[in-house]
Order: sequence, then C-alpha cells, then structure tokens
Amino acid sequence: MRLLRKLIQIQHDKGFIDDESLLEISSSEKVPLYHLEGLVSFYTYFRRVPPARVSVQICRDIACKMASQKAVAEKIQKEFGSRNDIEISFTSCTGRCDSALSVLVNDQPVAIRNEKDWQDFQSVVEEPDSLKINLPTDPLHWKCNPYQNQDDWYSTLKNLLEQKSLTEFAQHCIKNVEESGLRGMGGAGFPTGKKWQMVADENAEFKTVICNADESEPGTFKDRVILKDLSHLIIEGMIIAGLSVGAENGIVFLRHAYAPEQRILEQAIKQARKKGLLGQNILGTGKNYEIEIFVSPGGYILGEETALMEALEDRRGEPRNKPPYPVQEGYLGKPTLINNVETFALSASIIHHGLEWWQQQGIGDYSGLKFIPVSGDVNSPGVYEVPWGTTFREIIQKAGGMKDNKPLQAFLPGGASSNFLSDADLDLPLDFDAVRNAGSMLGTGAIITFNEDRNLLEMGQNITEFFRNESCGKCVPCRIGCEKGVNLVNQISNQQNLKDVLPVLEEISETMQQTSICGLGQVALNPVMSVLKNFPGKIL
Amino acid sequence: MLKKKFSSIQMKIDGQSVSVPEGTTILEAAADAGISIPTLCYHPKLNSVGVCRFCVVDVGERVLAASCTRTCQEGMDLQTGSKRIKKYRKCLTEMLLADHPVPCQKEKTTGDCELEELGREYGILSGEGDQTKFLDENQSLLLNQKLAEPEKTDLSSPVIVVDHHACILCDRCIRACDDLQCNDIIGRSGKGYSSSIGFDLNQPMGESQCVTCGECVSACPTGALTQKTITLPVISRDDLEQVDSVCPYCGVGCSLTYHKIENKIVFAEGRESPVNHGRLCVKGRYGWDYTFHSQRLTKPLIRKESFYPKGPLSPEVLKSQSGKNKKSGRNKKPGGIVDYDQVMPAFREAEWDEVLDLIADRFLKIKKEFGSNSLAGFGSAKCSNEEAYLFQKLIRAGFGTNNVDHCTRLCHASSVAALMETIGSGAVTNVFADVTESDLILITGSNSSSNHPVAATFFKEAARKNAKLIVVDVREHEMAAQADHFACIKPGSDVAFYNGVMHVLIRDGLVDQKFIDERTEGFEELKKLVLKDYSPAQVEETCGVSAEIIETIARTIGKSNNMLIFWGMGISQHVTGTDNARCLISLCLMTGSVGRPGTGLHPLRGQNNVQGASDAGLIPIVYPDYQPVGKTEIREKFEQAWECELDHDAGLTVVEIMAGALDSSIRGMYILGENPFISDPNINKVRMALSNLDFLVTQDIFLTETAEFADVILPATTYFEKTGTYTNTDRRVQMGRKVVDPPGEAKEDWKVICEIGNRIGISMNYNSSSEVFDEFTSLTKNYHGLSHENLGATGKLWPCDNPEEGDGTRILFDQQFPTETGLGKFVPCPYLPPDESTDEEFEFVLSTGRLLEHWHTGTMTRRSYALNEIASTAYAYFHPDDLKRRDLKDEQFVEISSRRGTIEIQVKADQSIRRGVVFIPFHFRESPANVLTNDALDPFGKIPEFKVCAVKVKPLEKHAHK
Repeated sequence: MRLLRKLIQIQHDKGFIDDESLLEISSSEKVPLYHLEGLVSFYTYFRRVPPARVSVQICRDIACKMASQKAVAEKIQKEFGSRNDIEISFTSCTGRCDSALSVLVNDQPVAIRNEKDWQDFQSVVEEPDSLKINLPTDPLHWKCNPYQNQDDWYSTLKNLLEQKSLTEFAQHCIKNVEESGLRGMGGAGFPTGKKWQMVADENAEFKTVICNADESEPGTFKDRVILKDLSHLIIEGMIIAGLSVGAENGIVFLRHAYAPEQRILEQAIKQARKKGLLGQNILGTGKNYEIEIFVSPGGYILGEETALMEALEDRRGEPRNKPPYPVQEGYLGKPTLINNVETFALSASIIHHGLEWWQQQGIGDYSGLKFIPVSGDVNSPGVYEVPWGTTFREIIQKAGGMKDNKPLQAFLPGGASSNFLSDADLDLPLDFDAVRNAGSMLGTGAIITFNEDRNLLEMGQNITEFFRNESCGKCVPCRIGCEKGVNLVNQISNQQNLKDVLPVLEEISETMQQTSICGLGQVALNPVMSVLKNFPGKIL
Repeated sequence: MLKKKFSSIQMKIDGQSVSVPEGTTILEAAADAGISIPTLCYHPKLNSVGVCRFCVVDVGERVLAASCTRTCQEGMDLQTGSKRIKKYRKCLTEMLLADHPVPCQKEKTTGDCELEELGREYGILSGEGDQTKFLDENQSLLLNQKLAEPEKTDLSSPVIVVDHHACILCDRCIRACDDLQCNDIIGRSGKGYSSSIGFDLNQPMGESQCVTCGECVSACPTGALTQKTITLPVISRDDLEQVDSVCPYCGVGCSLTYHKIENKIVFAEGRESPVNHGRLCVKGRYGWDYTFHSQRLTKPLIRKESFYPKGPLSPEVLKSQSGKNKKSGRNKKPGGIVDYDQVMPAFREAEWDEVLDLIADRFLKIKKEFGSNSLAGFGSAKCSNEEAYLFQKLIRAGFGTNNVDHCTRLCHASSVAALMETIGSGAVTNVFADVTESDLILITGSNSSSNHPVAATFFKEAARKNAKLIVVDVREHEMAAQADHFACIKPGSDVAFYNGVMHVLIRDGLVDQKFIDERTEGFEELKKLVLKDYSPAQVEETCGVSAEIIETIARTIGKSNNMLIFWGMGISQHVTGTDNARCLISLCLMTGSVGRPGTGLHPLRGQNNVQGASDAGLIPIVYPDYQPVGKTEIREKFEQAWECELDHDAGLTVVEIMAGALDSSIRGMYILGENPFISDPNINKVRMALSNLDFLVTQDIFLTETAEFADVILPATTYFEKTGTYTNTDRRVQMGRKVVDPPGEAKEDWKVICEIGNRIGISMNYNSSSEVFDEFTSLTKNYHGLSHENLGATGKLWPCDNPEEGDGTRILFDQQFPTETGLGKFVPCPYLPPDESTDEEFEFVLSTGRLLEHWHTGTMTRRSYALNEIASTAYAYFHPDDLKRRDLKDEQFVEISSRRGTIEIQVKADQSIRRGVVFIPFHFRESPANVLTNDALDPFGKIPEFKVCAVKVKPLEKHAHK
C-alpha cells in the first residue's frame, strides 16, 4: 500500500507521474525502476504525461453505450475537440449505470441524460472546480438497516458483546451467518458463514479482513449505493467479522471512481472510532481493530480477490494461481477474510435481526433480501432491495417497467459476465440455482435489460471489448483470447462468415474457460457466445 | 530454496500410481513418472508463475490446473494429456503463433524456438529454422494486425536483439534477471494485450541500467531476446561444435560452453557447475572475440637497430600526461587501443629459431656478466597452472634466481601474507557459493558486482533469501545499495574501523569465547589494544563513519551465527594491506566464523588463475604449493626434482624488480602475459625502468604498452587456443580446453617456455600440458592426485582426498589450522595512516579499480566488440557535489595530477563516490590512472598502495567528444 499510495499522491499532486519522481522513489524506497514502471503502466489512474486543464472521459460500456453514447461522444468531440485545454477520451464503466450516460470530468462523475444535463456538463467542463457533489444519504430507505438514527449505530455489536464472551460472540455470529444461507454477493456466491469459519479455524497471529468495494463490472452499482446509505452497516459487519475470525486488521479496498462515497465512508469510520469500536481494546474485548481505506488506482481486475491483494502488496494487480486461497494465504501471505460490501452489510443485518426475521424476508422457501441494480431499458434504473425468490419480471416492474413500453428482448441476470437470457426467462426467481439452470449465472445480481430494438450482437461485442480492455494480461488464454475474440466478433457480418467464425470462437472460448487463471478470462467470451447461440435469429 | 519435503503422497497420474514427497508439483511428479507435459513459462531454475497455461492438467475440478504451480494432493487422480487438454494446448499455440513472426529470430539463428516447436508438434507449422511455415490458412481468422505494426525491434544493445513481436510474456527473462542475476532490470510494462516486457522505465535495453549479462537471452524460449552476430552469424546449434571450458576472465571461474564453427567461436553459453550454476556475466558471455582481433601477433618480432636506445613508441606511452599527445594524421578516434602503424615500424619479423636463439644467448650473457640475480621474470595469472609452473621452473632452474613474481603482488599479496601468518594458509577457507548457508555476509573493499559479477549474483541472492549483508567500502556501489548495513569509510581507515568493531564485540561480550580458548592464540594482546584506543567514539573521526553505525554493524556481527567474509583490493592495496587483512582474520577468529558451513574467510581472487599461479610457485619466496625457498630440505627436494642447483635466497617482488631495473641491478627480464606499463604504480618510473633494461622479452597476444620497450616480442596464444588447468578463487582446479587454432605462428606459451629452457641448458621436454601438470602435482601436497583426466567437467577443489569420485574440500580448518601450533593467531594492529595524505593543493583522494566491462590493462576487453561498445571511454568519477563545488560539468575534460604525474580525462558524476574521493579505472592507456598512483609498499606483502594517493584537478578547455 505504501508504494501505491506514494504514486497516487504524486498523480494527485502533479496530475501525472514524471520520471524524476520515479527515480526518486526508486532510490529512496530501494525499489527497482522496472517495478515502478510495472505499476504506473498497469493501473488506470496513473498517467505519464501532463494532463490538459480538463480531462473528459466518456464511459464506453454497456449501459452508457445504450444511452446514445455514440451520439453524445460525437457531440462532445464537436463542441470541445478542438480545444487544447481539454482532452477527451473513453473510460471503462464508472459504476453509475443508473444515470447513463456517465462522463468523468477531471475524475468527477457527471451524468448526461438530457438537454439540461448537457448544459450543466458544458459549464462543468469550463469550470471543473465548480462541480460540487453532495450525495444525499438515505439509510432509512432500506429494510435491512436496523437503525432508526445514528445514535443506534453499532448497537447490535455492542449489545451482543455485553451479553457474550468473545468466544461465544464468535460462535454465535458465524453460526447465524452460516445458518442464514447468506452467500457472497460479489459474484461468486461462496457460502459466507463457511468462509468465516475457515478463516477462524486458521491458526495465525496476523489475519486480515478485507471489504471488497471494488465493484467495477458494467451494470453493477449496488455497492456504491450501500456505501452511500449504509456505510455504518458495512463497518459493523467488518468488525463483527474481525472479532469472529480473530483478525485485528481491516481494509476497505475502494474503487477509485467512488470518491464521493469515500467521504461518507470515512465519516462513518471516524464515528466508529469515536464510539470506541475501532482502535485499541475495542469495547473492552481486549482486541484491537483498525479499518483503513485503500483507494484502488483502478482496473476491473482488482475486484478479483487475489489481484486485489497483489495491489495491496504494491504489485501489479494480477490474479494469483489458486490454491492457496486467501483464507489460508491471502494478504501478506496470511489468512484473510475477503467479502463484498453487500455481504458485510447483510451479515450485520442478519446478526441484528436474527435468523427468523431473515427467513421471513424471502418469498416462499427463499429467505433474505438482496440489493439488485437494474439498468438498461427500464424507466427507473437504480438499486432495489428485493426478497430472494422475486421473479425478474417483478424486479423489472419495480424499476418502472420497460422504457417507452418497448417489449423486453433479452436481459442479463447477473451483470456483464452473465449469459443473455430471453423474455421467456423473466419468470425465473431470483435464485442462484434457478438462474444457473437456465444457462446463465446470478453473479452480482445486476440486471441489464434490452428492448426489442437493441442489436444484441453489438451488446455482446461491447461486453467482450470490456473484458479485453480490462484483462490484466498475465495469462496467455485471457490476454490473447480476449483480443482475438473481439476481432472475431467484429468479423461477423453475414450468416456465411458466422459459420466460419463460430467454431473458432467456440474453441477459444472453451480454452479460455478451462485454462485462464481467473474468472475474468474464464467468462470473458461467454456473454457474446450466448448471444450467438441463443439468439441466432436476431444477430444479422 | 526447495520446500522441505516430509511425508509422501499417493496419487495417480494418467492412471499410473505414484508416490511423491509433500510439496512436489504435479509437473515434477509427472516428470519423475516419465510423463512429459509441454511448458513454455516453466524453467527448472526459476520460480514457477503459471502464466502460459500450457502445462494445465485435469485434476477433476471445474477448470484445469497449471501443473507447474499446483502441488500434489493425496488421492489425486489426474489426466495430463486427454484429447480435451490437447485441444486447449493447440488453441493456445495457435493464438500465440498468430501474433508471432514465423520463423522468429531464434528459429532463424539457433533454431530452437520453443513456441514454433510446439507449433510443429500440434500440426500448425511445418519445416524448421528458416523454412518454418504455417501449414494452412486456418490461421487467417486469428492472424493479426499486430505483426504489421511498425517495427518493434529494439537494437540498442550491442549484443542483444529485442523483438517484442516474438515475446509471449512468459516472464522467464524477468525472473532470470531478478531471481538469478538479481539485476532487477526487466519487468512487465502496460496491461492486457498491449503488455510487453520493459527495461527500467520501459527504455530501450541499451539505454537502461542493464549490465548485459545475457541471462535473459539464455532464458528466453522464443525470438524475443536473441544474440546479435559477433563473429559469424549465429546458426543452429546442431550445425555448431561445442567445447566445454571455463571463462578466461575473473577468479570466479564460471563454466561455459563455446559454440564454434570454422575456427571461430560464434557464441558462449553458461554451463551447469557448482561454481556458476550456468550464470555468466557480460565479459564471459560476450567478451571472447578479442582472440580473433586483427591486431593479434602472428610472428616473432625483433626490435630494429634504428630503434635503439629503447623507449616508448606510441604517443600515449611516450608521454601520458597532459593533452599534448600527438594524434596520428588519420582520423583516429582519441583513446582506444594502440595504433600498430605507430609501433610496428620499430620491429622486424623473425623466425622462431632466430628469436629463441637470440633470447637464450642474451639471457645467458647477462647471467654470466652480472650474475643470476640480475635476471627476473614476470609470469602471468592469466596463464595456466602448467605455464605458471614451467615459468617459475625456467626462472629458478634456468636463470638461477628466485626473482619471479606476477600480478598477485599487485592484488592479494598482503592478504596472503596475513593469512599465512595467522592461519597458515593463503587460500580461501570456504567457497563463495556457501553463502546459502550463511546468516551474515560481510563484503569489504570489494565491488563484487563489477569485479566478480557472477559471485555477486549469489551474494545478492543470499542477501534476499537467507543472510544479512554488511558492506564496508569507500564507494556506495551496487553491493552497498543491496546491503542491510553500509559503512562508507574514509580510504585507508580500515584498521581503525575494524578495531572499532572488535572493540564493541569484546566490550559487549559478543565474541565466541570457546573458539577463542580452543582454537586461537594472542587474543589478550589484541583485546588490550582495541579496548584501549579503539572505541567507536575514538575511531569515528578517523573512519568517517558514525559511532552508531559501527555499533550497529558490530552488534549485527555479534548476533550472527554463520558469517562469511569477502574482501577485495580495497583491503589489500594499501601500505597497511596486511594489517587490514589481519583485522578481518581477527574478526573472523573472535566470532568463530571459520571451519563451519556458511562461515569463512574469502579473499576474492582477481584473475582467472591468480590462485593457481600462486599455487604453482610464481612467487619469489616460495616454490610450488607455498614451500619456502629458504628451507634447505625443501630447496634440496626441488634441486633433486629439477636436477640443478637453486638460489638459496628469496627473490624480488614486482615493484622491487622494477626498482631494480631502474638502478640497473636488474638487467634482463622475461615478461609473460603481463603489462606492467599500465598495471604497475607510478608509471613514469616504470617507463624509465623498462627503458633501462639491457634486454626485455615480452610474450603476449598483442603488442602491449610494455612491449614497446621490448627487444624481442613473442606471439603467444590466447586462452582459447590451448589446453590447461586454472584454479579459481574457491581453489577449484578446472580444465580450460582448446577451442580454436592459433593464428599464424603464434605458439602455446608453455611450449615457448620449454624452447627457451632447453636452449639455456635445462631439460624441458613434455608431450602435453597434462604431463606438465603431473610433474607439478607430484611436487605438491594440495594438488596431489589431481590429473587432467580426473578433473572432469567441473573440476575439483584442492585439497581433494578422492579425486576419482569426490569434489574436493569446500571448507577448510574445521579442526585446526595448518600453523605450527595448530592455532589461529590474533595479530593486533594499531592504525597507521596511508602513505600519502591530501592537502590544500592535492585535495582529492584517488582510488583506482576496475569496471564491469573491462579487464586490467584492457588488452583483451578493449579488443572485444561488445565490451568496448558498452564502455569505451575513460572517466574520473566524482561525487556530484564535488563537481558542483569545483564548477565542473559532467563529461568535461580535466587534468588530474598527483605528486608523480598528470593525466587527462573526462569527469563523470557518480552518487556512489564518497565526497573528497575520485575513482579512476586503470584500464585506459590514454588516461592511465597508474601515472598518478603511489608505489609505496606494504612492508609485509610488498603490495603498492593503489587505493590511496592525493590528487588535484584542473579543468581543461577541450570539449567532450561524443
């Protein structure tokens, strides 16, 4: 963290990273130059040439692509393209798919949805410092939040510790989380209680709890909203987890694009410290616990848990070969519990409300709640807290139904890495197994909707490009397969060459699935393959 | 380090039951079971990274696992080569080949691109070498614009081509550079598909800090990193002949293989051995082409009558000082190697018989007229043990004098004097590779990464893995940068520093009292001395190092269990050189750091055979194997063996012989493979001395600066043109094998010595160098039993009890020392200042030394294309603050003068130099540092004080030529 923080500071202060700074760091920190080069050329936040006065970065990923990105980009180019003080470029998903089209002006998010937004955007470009982002937080909006006011925050934890010894506390929490059936909300869906137990079982002096707040997949922005409204619940979840697994070190790995949310989180951490929940001997337990925020210097791949740890250890964020898994050898080679933002928040909620309450929240046999970000062709894109078992049709209705009443052609049930499903699948319940059985995956639960006018091949192609752009390049199948995949999809122009291209794509896709080091490479071609296979009539 | 392997694991690979130790990877287990799994990024010497994914196997999980990183688990039942897996491997090959130039540079040269080999295996490519082609057009869908992109070939290195197109990002070069050589230059730059390997901050290779060791080239599986042509174009290994030999440069003695065709070496490669484990440095890998240089001497030469009285011939040798050199009319680049047009006219070619008769005649006449002791010989530490043995035999038995010495006098004479005195043996007590067993390494007065580069890689590796590193030096060179603790001492203050360290060790009870009591003598006197006058506070001013650092270093030493001490010329080349070494020995004895794994005393030997040349008796006070000339029974033994009468008295040393030449007590000299005009201190004196000799024979491969004063010049063979044995710094005796035939009438040195011997009345008839070796070993204890035959592929360490099977003795003195009492001796040394000190006028301390790329007087290295390309210019290195203070600009020409002479040179800023010090390498004839150096001698080792003299700097108007 030390080295990357230094570089982030230089980038922040100078607007770019110059050779002199790198030479200086190399000699003062005794780090080889190549190592620094490896870092500054890998992380997207860093740049090596001085910036223009204003940098405009237009999101190029799926929700924004659907929000007339091409036209707006042309408009921006026309308006500002000739200006020397303004540089225009494209960026990967900014995590604000609910207010597409998202543009970053000097790293600050601006939405361009209508003419008024356009006017505002123009003035922000002229005076970027004038942009003041004031996020209204609304903790009471969410059912899972047990607290009516700030004074009650963390009382779940406090009350439990008053009643129980630390050992009892740990057993109680792990048991509750385990019995709740809560699974990881970052995409992989690993049973949370089991993971906690595994870390608790490791015999080590140093353990770490990491909150993965690096959601960066197109269509996925639920953690952003949880960070904004329920920071205290995340922190409480992390402390509960820390005390349960025997860790005294907590890190929130936060994506760079969430700077406005970062300030809210920082505030909450400050408050927790004030209440004696962080620091030395917290709540008289004899345990110390600290939470620090590490702001990612950028890149979707860092959401992969071992890539994230590589970044924390000041290396290129490239996923590790597993096993060993983080529960045994994670951050600094020591046992590490890494969970997603939502997982921590829901864990705290479950422990507060108890199992019975959690079971009641679900529909029918399903228990619990889930935060679902909905984007694409719906009237009210946003994050919805829905009971497990709710059908996709109902969720889309919650999001205001299809925009302009255009019928749904297809949807992605679990973010950009899931396979496309058709309108025939709308009555599937929100459930890991049900979605998998339908040939896709629930992933983060991010729903992206496509109306009947959308060109699905173009959509699939856009997703493939996203993975190509975000591939770290460590392993051969992903590094080359993503690029070849994009090129092959681009070559599809008629039924005849589809016939030529499809088998090659299939072979590459299968090779990537089976041989890539991490999930990115394993799924990168799946969405586009699902379009080619499941929607053959709608491609050309 | 290998993982500790304990319990065994039962599993099945392709249906075959296997049992392997815990921690074994699937790849290793499969290999043991005779199952081969294709790999690209895997390399047995490197940590596995699992990035190419070729070695994936089916362990029954959701996805396949990389067998190079996955360890075996109990009950595994895995498939390594199912149809499905093969399909994926083929697909990976297709994808990589789609972006790969076919054939790539490696396939076109050495013919062994590993990717193209896989391409043939999977039926994607056909043909080999230049003929490699895609089999069909199925690839067209994958083939990529990437190859059409502008040229991505980096030609900035003189010897290495970097073709990023051919790179598959297997990271083997990165790991070879970081983990093997510990040079830390190569890494990945960029992300995703646009990633590439990059040097430093993604600079061209030749502009980075790369030291051109070439380890990356040898690790690269494809044409991304390949050798440029040095002599003949590199061709397929199958079409080249391989000769296993040892590197001709430094005392490390790396094993290597020369690949040759048509009497030309084409390239060199590291070879597995306990010494270098296949690693090489820039000199070993690229510095062999001097042997083919057009200036090689091919005929004996006799000085023409008209060029008497003798004197220098080239302007550089004529007058080394000032910028008044007359350059020849042609567009001669300033500096560089000797211009033969200036020197050759003074000589005429002659036949061997004529010159040999002349030599015998003149030496015998001088002997008759002025006595045996008016003759002297300098042998060479670059020649073989056999040649060293014959040379000293010729001087002793033929000339009748013990006036025989060689350049060890200028490097470790003081170390040897101290070692002989205190522990009874002048050689290292342990091999350098034993640093893997150390928990502390002390490197002092040694710029190892330049002077013993391959040994340095092991030091750096140990410092990263298992040992703390302390460096004590006047320069903060690369080893210092890697150190846990670094003391930047004032030149010549070593005794004060180490007395200070020993003060703390004794004061705080950090000594090994048991070892002191049982294995040593004289501790009380030392204790008295260092406790009284050498507290850190008392010495900090003298050393220029704070008391705190001295305390820290002492405590680190005190806490360590296994300390290995390495030293170089920074310790030995002082008038207190013997005292400096005595202090290190005392430090070693009081901490019990000898005779056990990971401990010991290791003076790093400079030349490839300086250990062997000393062992063979090229020393005025001892016969072969350090048998003193002063002992009657010893002398009689050699008189009997050599069938002659021998001189009773010790002979003169190098600098004493030069002084003798100056005062005419020495009249005739035979100099074999040495170049005292550049290598000896106070050259202005050497010039007069050499001019004053009645008769001088030089025998060398080129016409050296010293040869300008010769009456007769004999054309010798290079290392590559003869077979013999060479003893490295570890005491490892290794075979150097003939690779190519000598040019013209150049003759093997040992044969020339014999011809002269036979002509001056001693019988020297041998059929081969092997016979010479047998005679030599029969007269020694330490080489006893060794023969050319039993030295084998990687040689033997002397002493060697069982030469047929054993490797020899790594660690000496585990029970007792070969002294009279069997005990190690503490010799207390009070601090004495250097011979010369700075004053207002001569304000800088000059320290001389070497550069990584060059070797001694530059005779060989400046005629090597690569080495000369990389480092062609002489510089005086100053701390940037000193340059600023004196208002000097980088690269500016200056005059540097000592109380003895003046040279002209360009300055260069260097952070590693201590303020007030200037460092000048002594390789460059156009700016010979030894014009300035002091010929004051250490009273015991008779070594001159190369490391300290006072100089002044005067800016010149002249502009830098670039």
